[in-house]
Amino acid sequence: MSLFDHLRLRIQTLFRRQRSVEHLDDELQFHLDQQAAENIAAGMNPREARYAASRTFGNRTLVDEDTRTTWGWNWLDHFLQDLRFAFRQLAKTPGFTATAILTLALGIGANAAIFTLVHAILLKSLPVANPQSLVRLGNNNDCCVTSGTRDDGNFSLFSTATYEMLRKNLPEFEELAAIQAGFGYRPITVRRDHSQENARSVMGEFVSGNYFRTFGLNPYAGRLLTDDDDRKGAPVVAVMSYEAWQRTYAGDPSVIGRAFFVNTQPVTIAGIAPRGFYGDRLATSPPELYLPIESMPALANTPYVHDPDSSWLYFIGRVKPGVSLPVLQQKISSLVEQSLAQTKLYSSEENKKVLPKTHVVLTPGASGILSMRSEYASNLRLLQFVSGLVLLIACANIANLLLVRGAQRKLELSVRTALGAPRGRIVRQLLTESLLLAVLGGLAGLFLAYLGTSFLLSWAFPNAIGLPIDARPSFEVLAFATALSLLTAALFGAAPAWIAAKTHPADALRTGSRGTISGASFLQRVLVIAQAALSLVLLVGAGLFSRSLTKLESTDLKLDSRNRYIVHVNPQAAGYSQRQLEALYRTIEQRFHSLPGIVNVGLATYSPMEDNNWGTGIQIQGLPDTKGDGASFVKITPEYFDSVGTKLIMGRGISPQDTPASHAVSVVNQAFVKDYFPAGTNPIGQHFGGDRESAGDFEIVGVVEDTVYQSVRWKDHHMFFVPMMQRPASDKDPIENDTSLYAGALVLQTQAPIANMEQLARQTLAEINPNLAVVKFQTFDQQITDQFNGDRLVARLTTLFGALALLLATIGLYGLTAYTVARRTSEIGIRMALGANPAGVTAMVLRGALLQTLVGLLIGVPAVLLCVRFVESQLYEIKGMDYTVLLIAILTLAAASALAGFLPARRAALTDPAQTLRAE
Amino acid sequence: MGKPSDLVQGTLDLLILKTIALEPKHGWAIAKRIEQISSDVLQVQQGSLYPALHRLEQKGWIKGKRAETETGRIAKFYCLTPAGRLQLEKESANWNRLSAAINLVVQAQSS
Repeated sequence: MSLFDHLRLRIQTLFRRQRSVEHLDDELQFHLDQQAAENIAAGMNPREARYAASRTFGNRTLVDEDTRTTWGWNWLDHFLQDLRFAFRQLAKTPGFTATAILTLALGIGANAAIFTLVHAILLKSLPVANPQSLVRLGNNNDCCVTSGTRDDGNFSLFSTATYEMLRKNLPEFEELAAIQAGFGYRPITVRRDHSQENARSVMGEFVSGNYFRTFGLNPYAGRLLTDDDDRKGAPVVAVMSYEAWQRTYAGDPSVIGRAFFVNTQPVTIAGIAPRGFYGDRLATSPPELYLPIESMPALANTPYVHDPDSSWLYFIGRVKPGVSLPVLQQKISSLVEQSLAQTKLYSSEENKKVLPKTHVVLTPGASGILSMRSEYASNLRLLQFVSGLVLLIACANIANLLLVRGAQRKLELSVRTALGAPRGRIVRQLLTESLLLAVLGGLAGLFLAYLGTSFLLSWAFPNAIGLPIDARPSFEVLAFATALSLLTAALFGAAPAWIAAKTHPADALRTGSRGTISGASFLQRVLVIAQAALSLVLLVGAGLFSRSLTKLESTDLKLDSRNRYIVHVNPQAAGYSQRQLEALYRTIEQRFHSLPGIVNVGLATYSPMEDNNWGTGIQIQGLPDTKGDGASFVKITPEYFDSVGTKLIMGRGISPQDTPASHAVSVVNQAFVKDYFPAGTNPIGQHFGGDRESAGDFEIVGVVEDTVYQSVRWKDHHMFFVPMMQRPASDKDPIENDTSLYAGALVLQTQAPIANMEQLARQTLAEINPNLAVVKFQTFDQQITDQFNGDRLVARLTTLFGALALLLATIGLYGLTAYTVARRTSEIGIRMALGANPAGVTAMVLRGALLQTLVGLLIGVPAVLLCVRFVESQLYEIKGMDYTVLLIAILTLAAASALAGFLPARRAALTDPAQTLRAE
Repeated sequence: MGKPSDLVQGTLDLLILKTIALEPKHGWAIAKRIEQISSDVLQVQQGSLYPALHRLEQKGWIKGKRAETETGRIAKFYCLTPAGRLQLEKESANWNRLSAAINLVVQAQSS
C-alpha cells in the first residue's frame, strides 16, 4: 500500500469516524448473527444460540475498544473525552472559571498588547520585496543636515556628492538609494490644482529616482519614480502614498496624472505607491508624497542639496547575492574617505587629521532606518519585562486556584483511581482542563489586547497622522499569544495535576480526619510569597516612574504658557524668498495685532519645548579657546521673549531697531554666561562668534533666564538669541542660501483664552497668503504636555501593571487564606470550644496571612534594590533607590494583604463551635 | 480456550493472511476456516480476531471491502493486498524455519 493509501485510510477513520464506528458495529454484529445461525442449525434454541455465540466471541466492548485502538486515533478519542469532561467541570464552577479566565485574559492581554508594539517597532521588516538583502550604510541616527566633522569618523549621514560617487563605484549593489534624513522636520505644503481647498501642510520625502526600484515595489496605480525623474530640469513628478490617497482624496483616480502645487510649484502626481508601504522607516506620520531629490532646490529652496560640505542623506541599498559584507564595508569606508577628502571642510589641516578615522558600518536594512526603534527600544523592553511579571503573577494565581480545586476534587480523583484510571490519564485530564482554561483565557486576552493596543497607540502617538501600526493582532501576535497561552497552561497546570494524581486513593477515601492540618501546601504558600515579592517590584517600579514624571512635569520651565498659542508655519514652503521675509513678518505682526485680545505676537525659528534645535560652536572674543559643547541659537522678533514668557535679567531684549542694517546683537541665557565667561565678568558688551575668525560677530546686549528648549533633560543648555533678520558679519554666503531666516513658529499671547484661536489663525494667515498653511496649531500647554508623552505612557502603564499585580496578589492571598480557614473550620471550632476568644482566632488567621506577605517583602526588597539600577537611566533625577517610594509600596502591599487576610479571619472568628462540630 | 497471546507471537497474523490468500472472506468465515483446517486444535477466541484484522488493514497488508453475502447481508470481506502477499511469504518462511528448529530440538530430546 502506498503512503497515500495509508494516509487515506488513516484520515478516513478520522473524519468518517461515525461511519467507521457503525461499520465496525455491523461487522461484529454480523459475526455474532452468523455464529448464532450456525448454532441454531446445530439444534440449539434461538436464545441459547445467541448466548453461546456471545460466549465464543468474548467481551464485545473490549473487542470494540481494542479494534478502535488499531485505528491510531485513540489519543484523539481520549482528548475529546477529556475536553468534553473539562467543559462540564468548568461549567459546574462558574465562579472559579470566570476568575481564572479573567486573570489569564488580563495577563495575556497585557502581554499581547505590549508585544503588538514590540513587534511593530522593534521586530517588523519593511513591507517590501525581499527585505533581507537590504543593507543600510551607517549605524547611527545622525540627523538632519550637518556641515561639521564627526570626531569618531563613524558616518551615517552623507552628501549628494558622496552618493553620486558611491553609485558609480559600487557594482556590488543592485541598487543604492539615497533618502532625505530629516523629512519629519521639513513638511511640505500641498494644494490640488483648480480646487478651492486650502493648502495643507503634509509630510513629504525627497528620494533618489531608484528609491522604489531598490525596494522592489510595484505601483498601486500609475507609475513610480524613475532615474529620469531625478534629473535636473526634468518635469517634477511625485508619488503619493496609498494611505494618503485614500484618506485625503478618497481614492479619487483623477489624482493620478493631475497637477498639484507643492510649496507653490507645479508637480504632477505620477502614481500611487503600493498599499501598506510607509516609506523607508517607521514614523508616526509617514510621508504622503515622495519627490525626486533633484526637484528639492526648486521646491524647497534648500542650498545644501548640491553642497559637498552638507550631509543630509541616508543610504539604503540592495546588495547582489554572494557579496561579502565585511569586504564591502571596507571598500565603502575608503570610498567615503576619498569623497570627504575632496571637500572644503576636510581641506583644513585640523580636519585632515581626523580624516583617516572615516568609516561606515553596514547594518541590516530590512527594517529601514531605525530612528523610532532606538527611541522606543528601552521603554518597550521595560514594558515587556513588566507585563511578563504580571503574567507570572497571574499564572501563580491560577496555579493556586487549581491546587485548591485539586484538593477539593481529591475524593473524585481517588474514586477514579480506585476504579482503575491510570495516573497518566488523570494527569492528562487535568492538563486538558488547564489547556482549555488557557485557550479561553488567551482568546479573551486577545480581545483585551486589541482594545488595549488601540488605547496604547493613542496614548503613545497622539499627534500621528497615518500611523503605520495596526492595533489588530497580526499573525505574529496571534502566534505569540497562542504560545503564551500554551506556556502558561504548562506552567500553572503541571504541578497541580501531578500533585492531584499522586494522591493515594486509600488516604483520600479515609475522610473525616481531624487535626491541626496545615491547610495549605508548601507549594501554595511559595506561590503566594512569590506573588507578593513580584508585586512589590512592580509597585516600586510604578512609583519610581510616576515620581519621575511628576518631577519632569513640575520642573520650572522658566516660561509662561498661560493664554499662549503656538502656530507652526513654513514661509519657505509658501514660496517666500529670503528677501520677502522682512515684509511678511511685519504683515503677520500687524494682522495679528489687529485681532481683538492679542497681547504679543512673536516669531522665531522654533519655540521652547518642541523637538527642534539649531546648534553652533562658540568662541568668546578675547578669551582663550572656549571649551564646551557650543550653544543652541534661536532667531527671534522683538515681541518673542514676552510672548513665551522668558524673563530678562540684564541689559535689554531684541528691539525693532535691531535691523539687518545695524550691528548684529545677541541676548544669551544664564547657562551661557555661567559656562563661557569667568565668574564675575559682565557679559554685556562682550562679543562672540562660532570660531576664532567670527568671534566678533555678535555683541551681547542682554541676559535672559534659562527657558527650557527641546527637553527638560537637557541641563545647562547654552543658548543665545539673535534678531530674526540680522546676519553676522562673517557670513559671506548670499542671503539666498540662508535658511535660518525662515520663521517656524508664531507665538501668540492673548488677554484671555480664545476658543476659536485656531480658526482665527488659519484665516488670518490665509488672508495674507493662501499658501501660508498651518503646519501645526497647539496651545503652548499642549505643546509642553506632548514633550512628556513617552514618560507619561511609561508611568501610566507601569502604574496600571502595578495595580493589576497588586490586585492579583491580593486575590491570591485572599483565596489561600479563605481556603485555609475553610479547611481548618473544625480545628477552629475545637479551639473556640476549648476557650479561644474570637479576637485570638482573628489574630491567628491574620498572622498566617501577613507572615507570607512579610516573607514576600523580605525577598522583594533586595530584588527591588537590585532591579532599580536597570531603570535608573530611564528615570529623571532619581538616583539609586527612592526610599519614600519603597516605603509607600511596602505599606500599600501590607494594607492589601491585611485586607485579604482580614475577611477570612473575621469569618473564622464567627465560627460557631457547636455547629461546626455537629457538622461532622 | 486459548487467547491470542497463547498462540505463538505473530502466528495469528500468519493464520489470517494464509486463510484469505485464496479468496476474500469475512471475519466469521476466517475464524471458522482456521478452526476447521486445524481440526479444532487451534481455537481462536473469535472476538480477538477483529483487532488483528484492523491492525493488518492499517498496515496495508489486507484490504476490507463491504459486500453482500450469499444470504443477502452486508459483511466486510478481507482480501490480501500485494504487500500482504509478500508479508505472507516472509512469515511462512519464518514459520517454517522456526517450526523446523523446534522440531529438531524436541526430537533430539526424545531420542
